[in-house]
Amino acid sequence: MKAGRPAFDPVLLLAAPALAYMAVVFALPVLVLILRSFGTPTGPSITAYVSFLSDGFNWRVIGNTLRIAALTSLLCLALGYPTAVALARSKGAVQALLLVAIILPLSVGVIVKAFAWQIVLRRDGVVAAFMVMTGIWDQPQLLLFTESGLVIGAANVFLPFMILPIYSVLKLVDPNLQDAAATLGAPPLYRFFKLALPMAMPGIISGTAIVFSLAASMYVIPTLLIGDRFQTLATLTARAFLLMRNEQLGSTTATVLLVLAVSIVMLSSWAVKAKGDSR
Amino acid sequence: MTEPTFRLNRRSFVAGAGALTAGLAAPSILRAQAKELVVGAASSQKTWSEEIMIPAFEKKYGVKVIFEGTRSLVNLEKMQKNKGNQYLSVVQMDDPVMIIAVAEGLLDPITAARVPNSANLKPGVTHMDGMWVNYLQPWVGIAYNKEKVPTAPTSWADVFDPKYKGRIILPSLQNTEGVLNLFLASYLKTGKPMAEAQLDINSAFAKMAELKPNVLMSYTQEGQAYNLLEQGEAYMVMGAISSVALARKSKGAPIELAAPKEGTFSMPSGIALVKGGPQPELAAAYIDMLLSPEIQEKVTQATFALPTNGKVAPPAGLSNLTIHKVDWANVSKSRADWVSRWDRELSL
Repeated sequence: MKAGRPAFDPVLLLAAPALAYMAVVFALPVLVLILRSFGTPTGPSITAYVSFLSDGFNWRVIGNTLRIAALTSLLCLALGYPTAVALARSKGAVQALLLVAIILPLSVGVIVKAFAWQIVLRRDGVVAAFMVMTGIWDQPQLLLFTESGLVIGAANVFLPFMILPIYSVLKLVDPNLQDAAATLGAPPLYRFFKLALPMAMPGIISGTAIVFSLAASMYVIPTLLIGDRFQTLATLTARAFLLMRNEQLGSTTATVLLVLAVSIVMLSSWAVKAKGDSR
Repeated sequence: MTEPTFRLNRRSFVAGAGALTAGLAAPSILRAQAKELVVGAASSQKTWSEEIMIPAFEKKYGVKVIFEGTRSLVNLEKMQKNKGNQYLSVVQMDDPVMIIAVAEGLLDPITAARVPNSANLKPGVTHMDGMWVNYLQPWVGIAYNKEKVPTAPTSWADVFDPKYKGRIILPSLQNTEGVLNLFLASYLKTGKPMAEAQLDINSAFAKMAELKPNVLMSYTQEGQAYNLLEQGEAYMVMGAISSVALARKSKGAPIELAAPKEGTFSMPSGIALVKGGPQPELAAAYIDMLLSPEIQEKVTQATFALPTNGKVAPPAGLSNLTIHKVDWANVSKSRADWVSRWDRELSL
């Protein structure tokens, strides 16, 4: 603690309403959920976890969840980083237009989008026609109800959550830095890896953490885009509660998902901090 | 003597609770004076109930029908919580839920003395000595896109034809119509009578595995399935419910519903008298009217289902359609296992 500051900064109290709100609507229910996953008629026990994790199929489900989340994050990053650079560089009306283009799709519900993707991704849809026309595919292929289709759809929904954090970091970077490095003789690739990327890293890491957590826990998008034949932790949880009325199984899968998502967020915030300290 | 002189034991507590419930029962007596009849049903039954059944009943008996359209399990909960002080008189629930209600002693049998039209019911629609009956038979068939499949499928085996690679939609096992597909698959695999085929679930899964290359997707939301079918991305839906498929067809969708020659199953649609419910005579009259030829005719036309009153002619072309009986007790017992097996054996 820095000298001269009071032991308690009253400004911190500004967080109190949000903290109280989150305690009631989030922390408390999650606590109940976690406790329930350990509850058995004969007292607390980890049997639910043992039986869940000793089933090979459930590892496939965990694998599905992490793979889809990772691929979605990767696609979002590949599309989002260049966009964020352009957004940070742009000015005036162009920037406003770009921002609207990024944020406006958020106001269209996922269900509406999912039905639109069905039109675009089906075998006689636009994407298949383009791929055949350009000769990439010999014949129209199915993108709907495949993992690729799911990743394409999920990345579409979550892209703004990647662009905006990167943009908010990049807009604070002095644009003259690139020119300065160039004047000093740094080649483009060197400038990218040694200058641009490290500076954008905190934004990239937080964007990836947000997209990864959202994609790992998404429920509606896989339900509509890949259907019942591809289970993730989120779809398994929903079914345990809604169809099987097996609260313990549902709480267990939900807790596993929570632990995975929280680890990713913690790891990434640790990475951001480590990055910041090394500077 | 160390024991206290008065102790609230379980028996005296129950007696006290009984007295309390008697007090709480007063509103239902008031309800009786106001001539109201509360029917617990599903929200999907609301349209035809409110357009056909309820106006006819209210007119004939001068009562007000309160239609609580929720879900089968909600109705069951309402009866469980109000046992001894029921406010529902009639329930419409899925057959598997009826089995639970019978086991808990929540239902009164439907007899020909109380419900005369129940004597005219087709065989197979009266269950557990009249504890509940089916008032309609929404049947499942093969819905197909008329442009993509110009000749109507005639057998459930048609769905397995390799030429429909990636073009078949199945309901998930979370949907009851998806469970019925398992029985049809077992029947195709073994050739056993439908009643035995239902119990041979290994053959069912073996046959469904053969269908995997043809499966485009397995739905939980039927709207999505019909969109794909109508757009021509899917060619057929195996296990399409008549009330859904034919309603869409009547609104101009380019689809048709085929009734395969092997026969089929009907979706759960039970109605029962609530034991100890208010207005028992009116409750019986309500069921009697729903089973009457006049109302059956109108409701089957509106819902594209088969009538259960044997005196009502089935819709054109469906007079020979066999509706096989489902062993719902077996379904209730095994469904969770089947869902888990489906995940493993039919996943992508």
